[in-house]
Amino acid sequence: MTYETPVAAAPAPVRATPPTRQEGGVLGKRRGTVATVIIALLALAWLFPLIWALANSFRDYNYTQANGYLSFGGWTTSNYEEAWSRGNFGLHLKNSLLITVPAVLMTLWLSSMVAFVLARFSYRFNLTLLGIFLAANLLPPQALLIPVFRMFREIPLPLFMSDSGSMLNSFWALILVNTAFQMGFCTFVLSNYMKTLPHEIYESAELDGASVWRQYWQLTMPLVRPALAALATLQVTWVYNEFFWATVLIQQGNKLPVTSALNNLRGQFFTDTNLVAAGSIIVALPVLVVFFALQKQFVSGLTLGSTKG
Amino acid sequence: MSRTTSTAIPRSAVATMAATRRSVLRGIGLSGLAVGGASLLAACGGDDGPATGSGATVKFGINEAKGSGPAYDRLAAMAEAYTAETDTEVALNAVDHNTFQESINTYLQGTPDDVFTWFAGFRMAQFAEAGLISDLSDQWPIDGLNDSFKEASTAPDGKQYFVPASYYPWAVFYKKSVFEKNGWTAPETSDDLFALMDDMQGKKITPFAFGDKDGWPAMGTFDILNMRLNGFDFHMSLMAGDEAWDGDEVKLVFQTWKDLLPYHQADPLGRTWQEAATSMGNGESGMYLLGTFVVDAISDVADDLDFFTFPALDSSIGADALDAPIDGFCVASAGKNQDAAKAMVKWLGSAAAADAANAGADAPFISANSNASTSPYTDLQKKSAEVVGAAANIAQFMDRDTNADFANTVMIPSIQAFLKDPDDIDGITASIQEQAASILG
Repeated sequence: MTYETPVAAAPAPVRATPPTRQEGGVLGKRRGTVATVIIALLALAWLFPLIWALANSFRDYNYTQANGYLSFGGWTTSNYEEAWSRGNFGLHLKNSLLITVPAVLMTLWLSSMVAFVLARFSYRFNLTLLGIFLAANLLPPQALLIPVFRMFREIPLPLFMSDSGSMLNSFWALILVNTAFQMGFCTFVLSNYMKTLPHEIYESAELDGASVWRQYWQLTMPLVRPALAALATLQVTWVYNEFFWATVLIQQGNKLPVTSALNNLRGQFFTDTNLVAAGSIIVALPVLVVFFALQKQFVSGLTLGSTKG
Repeated sequence: MSRTTSTAIPRSAVATMAATRRSVLRGIGLSGLAVGGASLLAACGGDDGPATGSGATVKFGINEAKGSGPAYDRLAAMAEAYTAETDTEVALNAVDHNTFQESINTYLQGTPDDVFTWFAGFRMAQFAEAGLISDLSDQWPIDGLNDSFKEASTAPDGKQYFVPASYYPWAVFYKKSVFEKNGWTAPETSDDLFALMDDMQGKKITPFAFGDKDGWPAMGTFDILNMRLNGFDFHMSLMAGDEAWDGDEVKLVFQTWKDLLPYHQADPLGRTWQEAATSMGNGESGMYLLGTFVVDAISDVADDLDFFTFPALDSSIGADALDAPIDGFCVASAGKNQDAAKAMVKWLGSAAAADAANAGADAPFISANSNASTSPYTDLQKKSAEVVGAAANIAQFMDRDTNADFANTVMIPSIQAFLKDPDDIDGITASIQEQAASILG
């Protein structure tokens, strides 16, 4: 028998009284101090460029050019005003929204269906299918650039869907590509999560006469809601940050998502680096908001599927 | 391992499977219909109406993002003026300069606009050879564009594929006030130049500002030295891959450059051209060999800037050649509206288009069309037009005159390696030649 009844993973019981902690935990007191210093230094090294960019985004270009970036002064908020208007961020943020929301919804919907079948039924090709999804996840998108580009060029769309008459230069193309590339990871995570759901629930649902659809929609989906929330958080940031496909598939300036539109702040020769810093901060803000608001989901999303029930 | 599927698949699934298969087939049939319908609809949309005049639309792809400054304003003003004059609607597609250039291949092979902004030289010729841009020889000659511009618009097959609009020269810039204060004048011979540089060093001013962090600015130095030492014709055939990169001529260029390096700012690889320009702006450096766009980085001293062309290094060759990259327009062969595109591109080369562009922006460009009004020009531009008009030969700049792969992946690292270690000229030229042979054929 290759089919194994998944064992319900009982959530780890919360200890009523935590064991008395040794001072410094695993590390001794001295080693703990050393570790703290090293970690603080590393954190600083990571944060420094970000803080540096943030600080310089509030400084006047002419001032920093004349006095060098190590100087102090020339504070202004005009970079943000100029970045917003010159980068046309209102329009491009809307484009990003129009791409990200459908792509994330479609990814979660489709991959939850695949994951449900992979986790709940045992076909002979189950493992192969999961393997294919995972393998595709490892495939670099750059390797598929030319086939996808040519395919999309040949697929006609009615003019009310895409004014270029083909998949190129349309949001549909980006939504589809993002969905396809994110599905592998989501399927893997969701199917692992679904395998941890107790099998008995399905047996009783089966006895009560619930159809497969009902088992999926009304039984599984509510139970995997935490996983869906975590994945949605991750996916929003990933799809929003996606740069490569947008640059390749969209050639109409007014359809570019905001990550690609950041280039609008660079000139042919001349680049006001303080202005670009301000633009980058604006573009990064939505991701930061998502991260801080949904921090809990974010972290659990990263570790989802790493422990299999 | 004798297991039938029915034990593994719950009964409910088996029950719904037959129905599912049928509905899948139905779904395929429907989506097939949808695709067929889509192509039908697309076919209906193919009727673009009249080619020119009222009711026609030309798609115009431009390499400046909306609101990016005078360059965008000029192109938008051109489009507007064309609509006003011919009643042809112009649909503007504005993409920022770098993105436009980097994705030009997918752009031209995908769904390009009818008319788009592009560059003269090899960059134009390679698309002409690939059949990606349309033959415009039936639109030439264009009134006011002289033979040198016609030549710059001609691909190796002898036909024109390009309409020039503007250009800017590369020259040696300096601050008038600094030169006046020290009693310096623009050097006319190589002896003058070396005397001037020695004098500058004596006064603790670095003679030449220099930055090559981005890789391309130093190409301008190579170009001018090669044209001064080996002549324009050699330079162009070297760019085309017809001369040896490890020959004595190229070694002479690097040798001369090595002799000049002590007069340049040290450690150029860590400095952008903007930082180098700033050092000239605040008087730390005396001169800077760059394109006229140097003004963008030090606009506060723009009125104080002047330039001279690089003096002759070999009297038998003279100083009548320079880099002056030409910007203009092409028609994409995949564009839907060829006739309207050709009519528009011809108009874009006219004096009326140049005047409309310069009237619509804060900073004018130097028009390629000799009939265009020069009254909006700045003093620097008036002088540029004179200098370029007097030049016997005009090159486009290394990364426009040769294969882009060669320029970017071979020459940038090679020149940077030379600047890091100027003593290894033999090694560097041998390596360039080896790579040139495989890329340029």
